[in-house]
Amino acid sequence: MKSHQGWRLVLIAILVGALLSLPLWASRYVVLIFLLFGLHLAMAQMWNLLAGYTGLISLGQQIFIGLGGYSLAVLTVYYQLPIWLSILIGGGVCVLFAVIISFPIFRMSGVYFAIGSWIVAESLMIWFSNWDYAKKGMGFFIKAAYGVSLNQIYYSAILMGIGSVVLVFLLLRSKLGLSLMAMRDDEGASEGIGINAYRSKLACFLIAAFVTGITSGILYLNQVFIQPYNAFGIEWTVRLCFIVIIGGIGTIEGPIIGALIFVLLQQFFAEYASISLILLGVVSVLVMLAMPKGIIGTVQDKLAFEFLSPRRS
Amino acid sequence: MEVFIQTLINGLLLGGIYAAVGIGLSMIFGIVRLVNLAHGDLMILSSYLILVITGSFGLNPYLSLAAVIPVMFIIGFIIQKYILNRVLGMGMEPPLIVAFGLSIILQNTLLLVFSPDAQSLETPLSIKSIPITETLSIPAIYFVGFLVGVAVILALQLFFQFTYLGRAIRAASDDDEAAQLMGINTGTTYAVAMGIAMITAAIAGALIGTTFTFFPHTGPTYLIISFGVVIIGGAGSMIGTLVGGFILGLAQLVGSHFFGSGYQLLFGYLILFIVLVIRPQGIFGRKERAA
Repeated sequence: MKSHQGWRLVLIAILVGALLSLPLWASRYVVLIFLLFGLHLAMAQMWNLLAGYTGLISLGQQIFIGLGGYSLAVLTVYYQLPIWLSILIGGGVCVLFAVIISFPIFRMSGVYFAIGSWIVAESLMIWFSNWDYAKKGMGFFIKAAYGVSLNQIYYSAILMGIGSVVLVFLLLRSKLGLSLMAMRDDEGASEGIGINAYRSKLACFLIAAFVTGITSGILYLNQVFIQPYNAFGIEWTVRLCFIVIIGGIGTIEGPIIGALIFVLLQQFFAEYASISLILLGVVSVLVMLAMPKGIIGTVQDKLAFEFLSPRRS
Repeated sequence: MEVFIQTLINGLLLGGIYAAVGIGLSMIFGIVRLVNLAHGDLMILSSYLILVITGSFGLNPYLSLAAVIPVMFIIGFIIQKYILNRVLGMGMEPPLIVAFGLSIILQNTLLLVFSPDAQSLETPLSIKSIPITETLSIPAIYFVGFLVGVAVILALQLFFQFTYLGRAIRAASDDDEAAQLMGINTGTTYAVAMGIAMITAAIAGALIGTTFTFFPHTGPTYLIISFGVVIIGGAGSMIGTLVGGFILGLAQLVGSHFFGSGYQLLFGYLILFIVLVIRPQGIFGRKERAA
């Protein structure tokens, strides 16, 4: 056990070290790929927290991607606020919005929650594309983003990626994590022993909103341009869902592997966007049919070994 | 005032079309307890199939539909029997995600084959309208859509009540195990149900294609509309679906009458959201077992 622990720490240190030193030795192209990896990892890890541990299948994570991006755009373009402050405020806006919509959508469960959250996102898309203040369908050109270097964006993206993994890891080992797992096993019984399911779910929903919102701010720092059909599009959730499913839903490592596969696949088929999406669709259907626990879940079952176990030893 | 009455008429007629769009989703939701997230895309697939047949043989879209119906039945049967049935009973996420995956595959295959351009199915009816008074008239294409929508729902209602197959499907839905003991192959029954749902999707695809323009990514919009119809009407309730269609059609057009067409969809969503909050099982639905 002891030697396991050491081996594990060494491997984590090597991986993190490689990611942190990447801009020093890799090409700009590789840095860009891992920048996208960090961002997708953070957002997918949040979807995983909701779908894999809380039982909330949200088809509306693009709510927070859109709000985070638009906060950055509006605050820097209209009010000339500093970029990083705008991104943080964007996270706050997302939490606030999540609190407001939690009242109606937490009355729904299962499939109804999934569709309810999607409808909120679609409504926001229509609202923003008709809203003068948000420049309607034309969208914003985030000029301030040119003042930020690629390395700065890269490090913030990697920070979000690694941070989200650490966050979920610590969260699952906390009292909240224990409640979540008790709820996942038997919601009725868990309430019987005094777990407030509503509050635990809400906590996860708000955390996911905050992290996704901030990550989206960094994402749009890289994209520079935002418009409603892209920002509030269901395509975002499609990506997150595939990343988590392929990697392994309900595992901490799943989104890491999934995000890596997704980003590489996306680059590989960059010129054929629809082929890469078809491929993602086919792979995720096959994964669901053949190994519903994803790559990591299946490997864990075979080897009876978890790399980042949320269990307290 | 006249304009508003015209809006109400159009909204009601649109509702009939929406009912046809939603009935397939409602059936599968009620019978298999599966939310077919690919429903909208399968419907748009039918629109494209009709487009291809209409284009290559110079047929009328409604005649082409006759050829597309059996094709869609087979597609539905295969999808249910060999893909969706395998993930039923594995909890909520797997069927949802598989259907979502199918939706993405369909959308992007359509995009690859047909380009993102908007398409429409031409019929001589598109420009005709039936005058009622000097200023009021009924657009012929809406009227046909409405009649067909109502007919589809009545036909399904009769099918489920009076045929052996219809009863078998309901039995399999009520109690999977007991139905199997009575000699019903529930897997095949579900596949047939999906096939029938796809027949309705093919008809809806013809109605939507002749009434509006469509492109590969329109599917999800109609999925949400179908879901709206189902939520308002209650899953598996035929009459509820019809009423759900009317409410949604009216809400959209009345909303766009007062606030501009940019907000048309938003009002549909708003009504839907309110119903979801107040009565998640729908206005006509029975209290469901926890899904």
